[in-house]
Amino acid sequence: MAKVLEGPGMGLLKKWGMTVPGYVVVTSTDHFEQASSAAKWLKDSRLVVKAHEAIGSRMKLGLVKVNLDWPAAKQAVKEMLGKALGGGMTVSQVIVSEMIPHKEEYYISVKSTREGAELLLANVGGIEIESNWDRIQKLPVPIGETPSKESLADLAKRAGFGKDLASKMAEFAAKLYQCYDHEDAQYLEINPLVLRSNDQELVALDAVTLLDADARFRHPDWVFSFAAEFGRPYSEHERAVMEVDSKIKGSVKFIEIPGGDTALLPAGGGASVFYTDAVVALGGKPANYAEYSGDPPDWAVEVLTEKVCSLPNLKRIIVGGAIANFTNVKKTFAGIIAGFRKAKAEGKLNGVEIWVRRGGPFEKEGLAAMKALEAEGFLIHVFDRNTPLTDIVDMSLKKESMADGSSSHKKTATMTLRGAKAGEARQ
Amino acid sequence: MSIIADRDTRVVIQGGPAGVNAARRMAEFCHLAKAPLTVQAFVFPPDAGKINEVPYGSEIVSIPVYKSVAEAIADHPDINTSLVYVGPDRAFGAAREALNVDAIRLVSMITEGVPEKDTKLLSRVAREKGKIFNGPSAIGIISAGECRLGVIGGAFDNLVLSKLYRPGSFGVITKSGGLSNEIIWICSQFADGITTAIGIGGDAYPGSDYVTYLEMFEQDPKTHAVVIVGEMGGDLEERAADWYAAKKRRIKLMAVISGFCQEVLPKGMKFGHAGAKEGMKGEGSARHKADRLREAGAIVPSTFGGLGPAIKEVYQELLAKGVVKEAPAVEPEALPKLPKTIEESRKSGEVFVEPLVKTTISDDRGEEPLYYGYPASELINQGYQIPHVIGLLWNKKLISPQEAEIVKRIIMLSADHGPAVSGALTTIIAACAGISMSQAVAAGLIMIGPRFGGAVTDAGKWFKYAVENKLSVDEFLSYMKSNVGPVPGIGHRVKSVKNPDKRVKELVNYVKSQKLFMPHLDFALEVEKVTTAKKDTLILNVDGTIAAILVDLGFSVESLNGFFILARTIGLVGHWIDQKQQGSRLMRLFDYLINYAAPKKKEVPPLK
Repeated sequence: MAKVLEGPGMGLLKKWGMTVPGYVVVTSTDHFEQASSAAKWLKDSRLVVKAHEAIGSRMKLGLVKVNLDWPAAKQAVKEMLGKALGGGMTVSQVIVSEMIPHKEEYYISVKSTREGAELLLANVGGIEIESNWDRIQKLPVPIGETPSKESLADLAKRAGFGKDLASKMAEFAAKLYQCYDHEDAQYLEINPLVLRSNDQELVALDAVTLLDADARFRHPDWVFSFAAEFGRPYSEHERAVMEVDSKIKGSVKFIEIPGGDTALLPAGGGASVFYTDAVVALGGKPANYAEYSGDPPDWAVEVLTEKVCSLPNLKRIIVGGAIANFTNVKKTFAGIIAGFRKAKAEGKLNGVEIWVRRGGPFEKEGLAAMKALEAEGFLIHVFDRNTPLTDIVDMSLKKESMADGSSSHKKTATMTLRGAKAGEARQ
Repeated sequence: MSIIADRDTRVVIQGGPAGVNAARRMAEFCHLAKAPLTVQAFVFPPDAGKINEVPYGSEIVSIPVYKSVAEAIADHPDINTSLVYVGPDRAFGAAREALNVDAIRLVSMITEGVPEKDTKLLSRVAREKGKIFNGPSAIGIISAGECRLGVIGGAFDNLVLSKLYRPGSFGVITKSGGLSNEIIWICSQFADGITTAIGIGGDAYPGSDYVTYLEMFEQDPKTHAVVIVGEMGGDLEERAADWYAAKKRRIKLMAVISGFCQEVLPKGMKFGHAGAKEGMKGEGSARHKADRLREAGAIVPSTFGGLGPAIKEVYQELLAKGVVKEAPAVEPEALPKLPKTIEESRKSGEVFVEPLVKTTISDDRGEEPLYYGYPASELINQGYQIPHVIGLLWNKKLISPQEAEIVKRIIMLSADHGPAVSGALTTIIAACAGISMSQAVAAGLIMIGPRFGGAVTDAGKWFKYAVENKLSVDEFLSYMKSNVGPVPGIGHRVKSVKNPDKRVKELVNYVKSQKLFMPHLDFALEVEKVTTAKKDTLILNVDGTIAAILVDLGFSVESLNGFFILARTIGLVGHWIDQKQQGSRLMRLFDYLINYAAPKKKEVPPLK
């Protein structure tokens, strides 16, 4: 799923015939003034100014200002742009939109389900919806089908809309579904949807738009970039890895988690999460999430390794992985080793313990190459398939010293015990 | 026994190189399991009509490539399964095509990054037709001892280590491709291994889910327990839990779930597979799933590490109850081996191969070519020139700067001699006939022989013979007259004592100025004195001069014509380019340039 910011999200609604308030996305006050000379309504309307960034709780952070005239809006734009968001990120875009006078607020959304989609409609909206979840009426739409006029009319009626409004609402819902279906959306939510006082037109005041990034190949008009989905913009290193990821066969992924001391450099979308779980279960603090899979080229793994080694305050790096199907362990490890060497030459990895566990094609050669790093002064512990998947996390966090590659059964037993304890502690 | 993939499974692979690679891995499994080859056809329109080669044991099997699934089935009516290995933009069309063919009952898609909408549509089509659509981004399906679909199971060694050559008692269903192998391995170490393992892919709404296959495992008498690997996001694990709780089930359900880390990580930070997204109200969280599965009676260890011992416990119970019997141990020696390649066998010292070719001059197996042992780039960096490379490759010697200068001059003065000479003319005629460069230049080079440019070797040979045998000029000339004929390297069609060949003069003067020991050149010049006294045009020509000098520099007689060939190639390439750039048209001799001495027109007598 890929989140689209409000501006492009509104653009998609407009494209499918829904009415949205006038809006401009600006990156400077000059830009705002230029836009204002082109769009007259900016000077004539009451305005809302919001930071156009992928961050949560904008209201709390003072990044939403409402009911402004043009000079006040310009001032708000000026104040908001460049405002620090933490983590070295700043507000780089601001969306200015028109206030729509209205009395009633409604809620409408379409979400992806196993069988297709579900239209959700309520005659209550805005913040009220949270406490009135039971008033939402639903209409399932099987994949490959379009909701009929009758079913939409029925939905609007069930949601408690009066006769005139019900048919308007049904029409709007039909358009929203069209938009959802044709734009490969996974979630579209309009809250609030309002009835504009002067002309009784339904207007989408705010939209949450999640698109299926995998469908990008058939949407040449998706010229916008997707926003980060975890409440902050991507960091420089994260972007660098995404850039590599977009160019290669296979994948490399990297997300920074500030405050951690245990770096993760595991293989596989599945195993990587088990490794992160294992760190957390033992009270460890992950410094990042990372993953490489699908037999990526060694240079891509090297870039990923460099970013992992650049994380601050590291105590250990977990180079884990299951038994690969077709990822060449020797080659991908060569990338990791090159990254480690580079980091060491740059004075990083001092006192950092590296823990390795892996299996798969060319596992012997790959593990031997890792083991050989010992001679170069790395603090490295290498284990093969006979050591259960996440035991290296256990060993590293408990600072146990064990002979490399020793028999696994005893370790597994202690692992279970610890696992059980961790389970209890959580309950 | 097994589910969905067995000894009767026959496969068409839709896709290009990735599909061929999968077919090879599948053939390795067939070899190990002593099963017939499962892949019978490929569908890949760009390669339709071609053949893909798949090693099977020590043989190579040729598997045809078709334009459509229907065409493949027409030739191979046993095919009942399709594996989709095409890119995400074409995956939908490919799978749809396969599902529409009656004979296909299972379509498994490896492709990653397929739009969710496409998957849902394919699932619906499959459901309506009573077929199975597995995936997308599914690593494959493997039934121990019976059938492998895709690369699941990994390398050949891993197939053996994980005892995939014979069935066990555990079923496996995972989203993750890497973990499928891990679980198969664990089942083989802590119990008797697997019946069937299925990768369903990591998408939120895969074509088939745990429940699809749990139903099948429940019906498979050989499967006694099923291990599922779940993760946060979606509700597939909850659905599995509901299925398990719905009624008394024959199979034991075991599960590990990932994503507990989400509880302590910054809110909203999500990762892992595409489907790994937690719902807004905690549904779909790892804890929610683990709890639901436990409530349903499934065995859910708290951590991944607990899975092995839990599997062992279930297996011991099955043994104790007599439901399963300990699988007889198989000696690794009794299993088919993957034939080694010649390279592997040579490395391990098992075979000796008589080389077909022997070289004594160069080696390109390392990072860069070695010219008689010297890395090309280092020669360049240290200022060596083309003549030095010639010295190394033709004569295995790193020649001196002085010698290199002479070689360079020889090449420069032989590079071209205008369009009229046979070599250049032939290249020009070829160029005008639209012949490509390499062929046209080669045609020109073919002209080099006894009458054109090819006298260098012979001249060198006889001058060398004379010097070696310490013949006087007279002795030499009389030997040549009675045994060989005209002296190669002596005589010119146009040039004479009065009209000397400037190229020869310059070269001889330069070489002489270098004060080198040049016995062959001296001898040749002595011969010239005698021959020109007899006839004005019997001068030492350019071939003879070059030959004598090169022999003096230590080049072998065999190499001598090479200097002319190399030098003249520069000219011939030039002539070809020249004609090409002029756009010259096909050339034809005018009748007046031909003496038609053939008989005049006659009446043809009737054929008897």
